[in-house]
Amino acid sequence: MTQVSDTAPAAMLNSDRWLSKIENLLNNIAALGIFVLMLTATVQILGRKLLNIPIPGYIDIAEQSIALFAFMGAAYCQRLNGHVRMELILSQLRGRLLWFIEAFGILVAMVLVGIMIKYGFEHFLRAWKFGDSTIDIGLAVWPSKLVVPIAFSVLWLRLLLQFIGYCRLVRHPQATPVLVPLIENTKEQAEREARETATADGQSNG
Amino acid sequence: MDNFQIGLLFTGIMLVLVFLGVRVAFAAAIAGTLGLVTILSMRLGFEKGLTAGLGMAGTVPHSKSVTYALSILPMFILIGFLAFHAGITKAVFEAAKRWLGWLPGGLAVATIFATAGFAAVSGASTATAAVFSRVAIPEMLKEGYDRRLSAGVVAAGGTLATLIPPSAILVIYAIIVEESVGQLLLAGFLPGIVSAIIYALIVIMRVKMNPAMGPSVSGYSWKQRLASVPGTFPIIAVIVIIFGSMYFGWATPTEAGALGAFVVFVLALIRGTPVGVLRDALVETSKLTVMIFTIIWGVLVYVRFLGFAGLPDAFANWIGGLDMSPLAILLCILAAYAILGMFMDAIGMLLLTLPVVQPAVIGLGYDPVWFGIIVVKMAELCLITPPVGLNCYVVSGVRPDIPVQDVFRGCWPFFVADILTIAVLIAFPQIVLFLPQTISG
Repeated sequence: MTQVSDTAPAAMLNSDRWLSKIENLLNNIAALGIFVLMLTATVQILGRKLLNIPIPGYIDIAEQSIALFAFMGAAYCQRLNGHVRMELILSQLRGRLLWFIEAFGILVAMVLVGIMIKYGFEHFLRAWKFGDSTIDIGLAVWPSKLVVPIAFSVLWLRLLLQFIGYCRLVRHPQATPVLVPLIENTKEQAEREARETATADGQSNG
Repeated sequence: MDNFQIGLLFTGIMLVLVFLGVRVAFAAAIAGTLGLVTILSMRLGFEKGLTAGLGMAGTVPHSKSVTYALSILPMFILIGFLAFHAGITKAVFEAAKRWLGWLPGGLAVATIFATAGFAAVSGASTATAAVFSRVAIPEMLKEGYDRRLSAGVVAAGGTLATLIPPSAILVIYAIIVEESVGQLLLAGFLPGIVSAIIYALIVIMRVKMNPAMGPSVSGYSWKQRLASVPGTFPIIAVIVIIFGSMYFGWATPTEAGALGAFVVFVLALIRGTPVGVLRDALVETSKLTVMIFTIIWGVLVYVRFLGFAGLPDAFANWIGGLDMSPLAILLCILAAYAILGMFMDAIGMLLLTLPVVQPAVIGLGYDPVWFGIIVVKMAELCLITPPVGLNCYVVSGVRPDIPVQDVFRGCWPFFVADILTIAVLIAFPQIVLFLPQTISG
């Protein structure tokens, strides 16, 4: 059994490392998008109210930029088990049955995300071909539509890795789990929350 | 099979998937996608139905997410994350202590109003409970406060964060049921304050009966009180910005959210928060934002299918045809939420049920904005009830010396207070509707 845990295939771990880098990059782009939106909207409101100089096409720009933070971090969030789900039943299960159900759940997500990639791409292609643009300043909408298939492709790869990780555990239930997020019980979740806010509080206590 | 039966079938499939631990967004979206394909296949033949159904579902993520109203979400979330670094928690508790400490159970009352004040810069219940566990519990214990009261007041105070704007969950409600974001946010103000007042009254009553539970803390001069006010400036600024822009129409909700976030960001910088910490706050904001967007588009795929299947209409007709008074039906629905909330995350629970339940409640003659506030209050109630009342676990997680059972026991008076608040809001819907109606009328 220990042999199994030690031989989590190097290829799997390597792909995880590479994919994680891409996910972090995309999530950082999303974070930057949020920061820029904060600055833009602040400049917009101050400019409009104080100087009577609004940013031309501000709403178009803000709207199109949503694609960045609505989708880019999807794979990152999946890696960290951030997408909401109900773990009531899963948390009661152990061993092969648990891993099997987890693998099934990921497979369902892969089918869905696969569909969204294909049809999201077609959605982009139509906008590209017909030169769709926003109403106010005629901003091309294809770039924001392209974000969907790109971000979801990375999400799909993350799901694939997790699927492989769960399948490995179905075969060898005793192996050390790799590539898959583990379920936190309420207590662990609470402790994480306590830890995460600890640094913040240190700050506020100044 | 008719459309209605298909609606039931795929709703059943979705629920099974959710129970099996499939992420709520993906479970809702796959059920919605397959349901659309099934219904359209029956109309157009399999091949055409397949392409049309998948195509329809495939455009939802972009077309439903990329709408200006939703750009407010990351701004609100960002305010919450940055607020922890702007030195607000300690300052607001200190101010509340100086102004309210003289009351019976003064520190507990101060904790309630400090969490309510902090709620004006944060929409996250559990995080608020965690931070005030550190700031308020030690002081209360030092003054000889009852341990359960101290823990309970923090866990319960955290729940105020979701009613008082900025509140992401109210924005999500508005989007899913197609109501005005601004009206929902305005509607949360007064119920949040009423909740806080009822919490405070319950504390005062309990301490009056047993003064040893929470001695008052007095002796602050007016000068000392006034000196504590500047520390709460970020909160006042955010309230003025958000409330002012909604109420007087100075700015769109997103602009107000962005300006609020900017103010808190600058204050965090002034306080010398390291850039790395601010970057982490942004990264966390981004993670939470994508989580919320994913569940929104996932559920909206399902909602599109529901529309085709006619399930909301059928449910509304069924509810409307019941031989019960609207109030009795409403209470049954709220009881169902209370039970469901014991097992499910609030966002997941609301998003999955509202598309069907909300039209039925509106059909009974209730106001959609009002119902949003009631249902969110209900979801918050579940954060302080066993078995999974997360706020209680968080308090116990920060203070391992207080067992979670004690926190739950400390929460029961606030549970009663919440039921009372909901009863008051049902009896006097004007508390909810007054502010939004003054701007729309």
